[in-house]
Amino acid sequence: MTTRRQVIQGAAALSAVSIAPGLRAQDKPVRIGYAMARTGPWTGGAQVSQEPNYLLWAEQMNAAGGLDVKGVRRRIELISSDDRSDVETCVRTYEKLMGSDKVDLVLPPWGSNANFAVAPLANRFGYPFLAPTALSRRLVEMKLPYFFLLLQQPQPMTQALVDMFKANGVKTMACIYVDDLFGLENYAALKVALQGSGIQLVEDKSYPGGVKDLSPVLRSIKDKNPDAFVGFTYPPDTILASKQAKEVGFNPKFFYASVGTAFQLYRNVMTPAGAEGVLGMGSWNAKTSPGAKAYFDAHTQKFGGKEPDRWASGHCWAGLEILTNAVRQVGLDRKAIRDYVANTTHKTIIGEVKFTGSENTATPGTVSQWQNGEFEVVWPPKLATAKLNSNKPVWK
Amino acid sequence: MSFSAWLELLASGLITGGIYALVALGLNLQYGLMRILNIAHGEFLMVGAYLTWMVQTQFGLSPLWMIPLSFALLMLLGLAIHWLCFRRLTATSPNLDVFEARGLMVAFGLMFLIQNAVSAIWGGELRGYDYMTDPVAMGGAQFAANKLLVFFMALLFSLALMVLLRKTLLGKGVRALMQSPAGAQLVGINTRTLHPLMFGIGLGLSGLAGCLLSMAYTISPAMGEPYTVTALIVITLGGFGSMGGALAGGLLLGVIEAIGMHFTNPSLKALLSYVVFIGVLLFRPKGLFAK
Repeated sequence: MTTRRQVIQGAAALSAVSIAPGLRAQDKPVRIGYAMARTGPWTGGAQVSQEPNYLLWAEQMNAAGGLDVKGVRRRIELISSDDRSDVETCVRTYEKLMGSDKVDLVLPPWGSNANFAVAPLANRFGYPFLAPTALSRRLVEMKLPYFFLLLQQPQPMTQALVDMFKANGVKTMACIYVDDLFGLENYAALKVALQGSGIQLVEDKSYPGGVKDLSPVLRSIKDKNPDAFVGFTYPPDTILASKQAKEVGFNPKFFYASVGTAFQLYRNVMTPAGAEGVLGMGSWNAKTSPGAKAYFDAHTQKFGGKEPDRWASGHCWAGLEILTNAVRQVGLDRKAIRDYVANTTHKTIIGEVKFTGSENTATPGTVSQWQNGEFEVVWPPKLATAKLNSNKPVWK
Repeated sequence: MSFSAWLELLASGLITGGIYALVALGLNLQYGLMRILNIAHGEFLMVGAYLTWMVQTQFGLSPLWMIPLSFALLMLLGLAIHWLCFRRLTATSPNLDVFEARGLMVAFGLMFLIQNAVSAIWGGELRGYDYMTDPVAMGGAQFAANKLLVFFMALLFSLALMVLLRKTLLGKGVRALMQSPAGAQLVGINTRTLHPLMFGIGLGLSGLAGCLLSMAYTISPAMGEPYTVTALIVITLGGFGSMGGALAGGLLLGVIEAIGMHFTNPSLKALLSYVVFIGVLLFRPKGLFAK
């Protein structure tokens, strides 16, 4: 029969065993968790702008001996799962990662909606959250101390666009926008930016995500013959609007679409000649900085020719650079990481990043344009990698 | 609005409608004949689209070759799936209602299986290629060449299927099965060969639709589901089991959507489709074209 003494002895032995790994803390990996869309409608964005960067980062760090935690190299162990493009699954996964698995750090999921749902949770658990793909004024207004937005927000992005149009004599504009948070906020910001600009909005229409035919709208816009077309669109609609503009012969001097123009896919589907002159949301390319070039090349090499997109991917990598530096400086104390992120001006591949509240206010709004098969930053002039072509050639 | 603007609007509605019709015909064949409510129908369309994309980008083969090939491959897949899943269900289900309910469950399973298999093989990113996107001018209006091709192919295959069902002995057997399964079996129509064959043709048609769609749109593993929903609306419009009804219903829905989007707002597209759907269910529950 087991006596009480034996039980106590056993318990003591067990606790000795469980303490032992603690003594070899250096060998313990840094556990970093995230949920990412690998199936469902978010996948197209998530698997271009976000997850490849997490994988590349972990691989590069581990090849160098691990993540530098205040001078001690520790291997990165990524703990990830598919959120099935579902907000509910996303929230539950992060709850588990932070609440019961108690991972060392978390990386954000893809997209404004998922970040909107997970950010307050991360804040409650005190996990710093550097979101590369979230775009919403409301996320800034929530004033979450642990939440940081790397991407430029609607206000600076649309302001840069309107400034560029004004500088190039645009008088009339037509706009379509997807009827969700992303489209509505950008459309609202555009309206504000247009006030007093002298540019007239001759047509504006919303459309649902997953739309299969935009030609009726594009035809009526074509009849009004605006100088500029602006679409606050997601990747499938970005391509649909471009293809159908070509189809109906709508070729304004400025053709601007949003998410997806910065993707390699855009050039593949439209061909380099077909993409020529198309404007879109982009903020960097390999010419932006030596670091950007190194990152671009490493990414392309690791993923068999798959290029990072010229917008959010760069911001995602910048976020990982910031996190790497933070952990090197202050270790894995999450409060200290937050303070470091919030109070430092960071040097990254996309230039300086500095946060005012949650918002990255050091990166100005930008506009990019396809020129000879590369998505070049064309506005503002001080960040430009090429000169703006202010007269889009006919679709090819 | 000018005449040519009307023409363009109607034609763009007909083009979209042609695709709807093609997808709906395949589903109608499965549901109308066998009571298999194949929720995974759109997934097979997606497989057809991926095969075409892969062949085009990897081997540089023209997507035109894939029109017959994707039909044949998907038809074979359909025969295999029928043999693996639905043959057994037919044998074990006590009556048609139970079969329908079980078939629906199996189709749900297939949907997840196929979508995830494609994600695993080709990844979840958007894909696409450039093929015949140059506009063709027709009577003051212009359309992308690939869209016109899609429309004519959709029409051609829909009509071919209708001719097959109306004019041949095989078609007669199929129609007899639709009207009275027990009666048809009594006069010696063999359901053991007809069912798998028609299921295969149904999937073949959806593979074909996927092949055609990949020329005009970007593709992703999640692309199929909206087409399944639209196909369900279309076969309700046209009447279950009625091929002519599915064709007319598809074209009609395309035109209604195009005109509605032009005069209201594209955001109201889903509302338009469902208003038509609910209206038909309320006032003509057997379909617009039921006699």
